[in-house]
Amino acid sequence: MMTASLVMDPHPSVLHAGDTVGQAVKLIMEHRYRNLPVVDEQGRYLGVFGINTLLRMVLPPAVVVEKGLTTAPFVTDGLHDLYLRLAAVEDRPILEFINEDAAVVTSDTPLVESLLVLYRTRTSVPVVEGEERRLVGMISYWDVGSHILEQGH
Amino acid sequence: MHSEDAVPMVFGWDAMWFAGILFVVTYVLIMSEKINRAIVATSAAALMVLAGVISEQRAIDGVDFNTIGLLTGMMAIVAITRRSGVFQYLAVWATKKVNAQPWGILVMLALVTAFLSALLDNVTTVLLIAPVTLLITEALGVKAYPYLFAEIFASNIGGAATLIGDPPNIMIGSAVGLSFNDFVIHMLPAASLVMVVSMLPIYWVWGRHLQASEENRRRVMNYRERDAITDRVLLIKSLSVLALVILGFAMAHTIGKQPSTIALAGAALLLLLDNLGRKPAKQTESVHATFSEVEWVTIFFFIGLFVVVHGLESTGLLTLVAGEILTLTGGDLTVTAMAILWGSAIASAVVDNIPFVATTIPLIKSMAPTFGGAEHLMPLWWSLALGACLGGNGSLVGASANLIVAGFAERSRQPIGFISFTLAAFPLMILGIGVASVYVYLRYL
Repeated sequence: MMTASLVMDPHPSVLHAGDTVGQAVKLIMEHRYRNLPVVDEQGRYLGVFGINTLLRMVLPPAVVVEKGLTTAPFVTDGLHDLYLRLAAVEDRPILEFINEDAAVVTSDTPLVESLLVLYRTRTSVPVVEGEERRLVGMISYWDVGSHILEQGH
Repeated sequence: MHSEDAVPMVFGWDAMWFAGILFVVTYVLIMSEKINRAIVATSAAALMVLAGVISEQRAIDGVDFNTIGLLTGMMAIVAITRRSGVFQYLAVWATKKVNAQPWGILVMLALVTAFLSALLDNVTTVLLIAPVTLLITEALGVKAYPYLFAEIFASNIGGAATLIGDPPNIMIGSAVGLSFNDFVIHMLPAASLVMVVSMLPIYWVWGRHLQASEENRRRVMNYRERDAITDRVLLIKSLSVLALVILGFAMAHTIGKQPSTIALAGAALLLLLDNLGRKPAKQTESVHATFSEVEWVTIFFFIGLFVVVHGLESTGLLTLVAGEILTLTGGDLTVTAMAILWGSAIASAVVDNIPFVATTIPLIKSMAPTFGGAEHLMPLWWSLALGACLGGNGSLVGASANLIVAGFAERSRQPIGFISFTLAAFPLMILGIGVASVYVYLRYL
């Protein structure tokens, strides 16, 4: 059976539990990553940190918190205000901000189901293995696209 | 006691014992919060009927549809109105009126909360105000805690001021036939007094230490409150209907209509105005979205509870309890009123005030012969309303709005601890009840 392992990148870039927000932001901005998996020293998957996490950090907490403001057209914060929010947390460990609930698939998740998760989450999806959830790869739109297009050759 | 429905034995038990034990178990389960309160109340109601403590018809008669209709109607109106952005506008406007001074903002946000709580339900109010508070305090560079604390107090005090402000008032008003105006005349002065007195310790503990830099205050002053209004047409429709509904409440006695009729008619009118010109499929989507914002858990909790209390009442147990209370108070109106005021305040600080009030209403009603008729019970009704509404300030679990604010604060990484809140809130609640006691004594006793 075709599974997630067929289309995943088995050597993805990762962030480590001890990295700071500043280090993570530098990495995702330099390489324009949308989402990076975060792992501990044993390579166990902990969560994801991505461009959306960065956006969440620079917006007023009142608009990103659950049941917060749904719109804020009256707020006049400028770029400097947004930067100050990021600067206030750049030395903090990324573990405080990672998304632990992001969707993941396992290496034996069927191919179509894996792509459905990718389609619904609209960002790269970590692939984990075993009860300890060891990170074994990432599925991205681009990897999937190139694997599908190869079928025409 | 409704002798025609009295069932002497249920599963081999005396019906009074069965209903009493079922009631206590229901109460304990509601307090434990291990099972959703709507599930507890509706299951207990089903047991009350299935066991034959009361008939199906009497169970339906026990449900106060005036309370249910009023709550549902107002929730639907608020669900549509909030989309206009008017509540954010009000909060930001109030903040700028005091030049973004930290203490001034605290007072204004508390006043806005109290005002909205008097007209809307408290949970909705704090859901609307707490996020704006977080936004403003972050911009000011001050802790949100004192602001959220003051808003919790303001929501419960403001809710006490009107018939529609807090479920206990809705229940009492409906059961006794008190109008919107009755509550404004009798409860608004008391609530206003308690509000003013409660702000003094808040100033002393937190207010006088609040400071913000010029730059941060300027950030708040730069907010453009007009931009908070995201739909001007909806704003006009919503405020017009809300004004009509409030007018309807004020005239309900004159026109001979129940508040629930007015609230539901207002909700229907606003739904109509909101959906005029939309295609049928979009209308369905919009109406569905509005109704999904009605708190059905609360509504079914009420329905179940009404049946349970009615079942208990029908066995005659509440009449017996009322008799015991009157024996303890010596049948003295002043002592009974104070016992109800303080008892309901302490009880409401630790248990949900809705089941407490639902149980106390028939209890007070059965005291009428002792005090010379139903018309002489008014001091007791106002005592119950003040105690049940203001008592909610005594702890974090005293009112749903408190828990909503605490949950929001937790998610915002500014947690409100149960112990620290209670240490400050309980004495402040006692102070408020002291003021209410003086008010009740001087005005009614």
